Amino acid sequence: MRDLAFVGFLMAFLALGFKRPFIFVLAYAYVDIVAPQRLSYWMLNAVPISVIVFGLAVVGWLAVDDKRSVRLTPRLFAILTLLIYCAYTTSVADVPIFAQEKWGWVWKALIFAFFLPLTLRTKLRIEALALFMVLCASAIIVTGGIKTAASGGGYGVLRLLVDNNSGLYEGSIISTVAICIIPLILWLGKYGTIFPQDWRVKTYVAALVFACLLIPVGTQARTGLVCIGVLAVLMLRFARYRFLYAGLVCAVGLMAVPFLPQSFTERMDTIREYKADESANTRLAVWKWTWEYAKNNPMGGGFDAYRQNKITLNTVETIGDGTTTQIEVQQMEDEGRAYHSSYFEMLGEQGWPGLFLWLFIHLGGIVRMEFLHRLYKRRDREDEQWVAPLALALQNGQIIYMIGSLFVGIAFQPFVYMLIALQIGLDTYLARRRQEAAWRPMRGERQVNAVASQAQPT
Amino acid sequence: MVDNFSIALSHALIALAAWRLIFRDDLDREDPPAPDKERAGFAMGGLVRRKQSKPTNEDKPGGRGNA
Repeated sequence: MRDLAFVGFLMAFLALGFKRPFIFVLAYAYVDIVAPQRLSYWMLNAVPISVIVFGLAVVGWLAVDDKRSVRLTPRLFAILTLLIYCAYTTSVADVPIFAQEKWGWVWKALIFAFFLPLTLRTKLRIEALALFMVLCASAIIVTGGIKTAASGGGYGVLRLLVDNNSGLYEGSIISTVAICIIPLILWLGKYGTIFPQDWRVKTYVAALVFACLLIPVGTQARTGLVCIGVLAVLMLRFARYRFLYAGLVCAVGLMAVPFLPQSFTERMDTIREYKADESANTRLAVWKWTWEYAKNNPMGGGFDAYRQNKITLNTVETIGDGTTTQIEVQQMEDEGRAYHSSYFEMLGEQGWPGLFLWLFIHLGGIVRMEFLHRLYKRRDREDEQWVAPLALALQNGQIIYMIGSLFVGIAFQPFVYMLIALQIGLDTYLARRRQEAAWRPMRGERQVNAVASQAQPT
Repeated sequence: MVDNFSIALSHALIALAAWRLIFRDDLDREDPPAPDKERAGFAMGGLVRRKQSKPTNEDKPGGRGNA
């Protein structure tokens, strides 16, 4: 029954695409995020659904869309370079079979991230993509939120629609993504035109944000707690009454503690006791191994190069208290441990060139969004009131991701590349609109062009 | 039960959003923005000023400003 519903939904979705081809682009985002083929038992998982929808999106764009406003920006060029570089490292990978497997989905994420900004030509398209990303993620977040509120969840226990622990369905990844889209949800609630602000939208936004905050509690991923902290600090920046806001955040945080499941508070306590924590120690050991590996392999070892690692780690545990304290040191051997950090993932797999490209793409996003935020605050035009808050929401999401990815290996997470594509699309769209608004036939044409080219996004 | 509720809610909203989108002309085409009235931020600051002569989009009957 569920399978038939999914097939019917997708067919209807694609049918709308024949009226407006941009719907195909949104349909691909849906397939990529929700992965309906994983939620169904037959039919959808028998056909390469993502390839078909992506093909429709590209053909629709090539056949119908206006391509006069297409611009290649430095960050778009960096994504293309990263794609080519990853293809190269895959061809010379240390563990070719696993590298091929990861390459199988990474290239799709990068190609889509490259393609997406080319289609984002209007404000409504930018809003539509943001809305679809949020709604698609909500399919996972709402179920996680309700289950956490009802039962408390648990590390590796909370079941999010599927048993498959990959893509957005993995606990630490959905924790990071759920927190990083909160600013975008708030923006959509305030400035959205597809669902304009009314009491229903406000209620849904409040409920969804609450569900997002519950995800780290339910999955008990410590990264999620760190991300919530980062979000609270970022929102402090533009709070009108900062002290009041900070006080409220602390009060709500403290009041929430008794309601949190005991297993959650116990697990969060291990953030402080990292010396006794095997998971934290493994991370440090793997990062050390990766650093040494990068010294010998500065060009990277290809995807999943971590599978070669053999690490020895010591855990130090203090037993007893007061007068008799016993320190217990245990030595353990481990191998094939994942990076648990996107930065080290890039360093180990794609070497220094890959890490620099990745940092350029991501840090470039933070810088450009800051630029747009300041510029549009200053412009202060009635019809551009939505821009500065959106730039800020995208920047905050990116910062949360950059902090969260310190502890999770999600360097190629397709959802995040959609966020990047959204940033690039916004940036190029606004550059074009500024140019159009400043256009003066008869006078200053050369000046305007010169200035607009200086304001090219990165 | 919870899974089905979550899937149904999100998919209903996605369907409604897609349905609303296909009736919006500004999905594919936008009117040009109204020209800047004065200096246009620090990137354009001081270089582009205008003495407006053309009617803007906002001046048209029934027109509205575009983003």
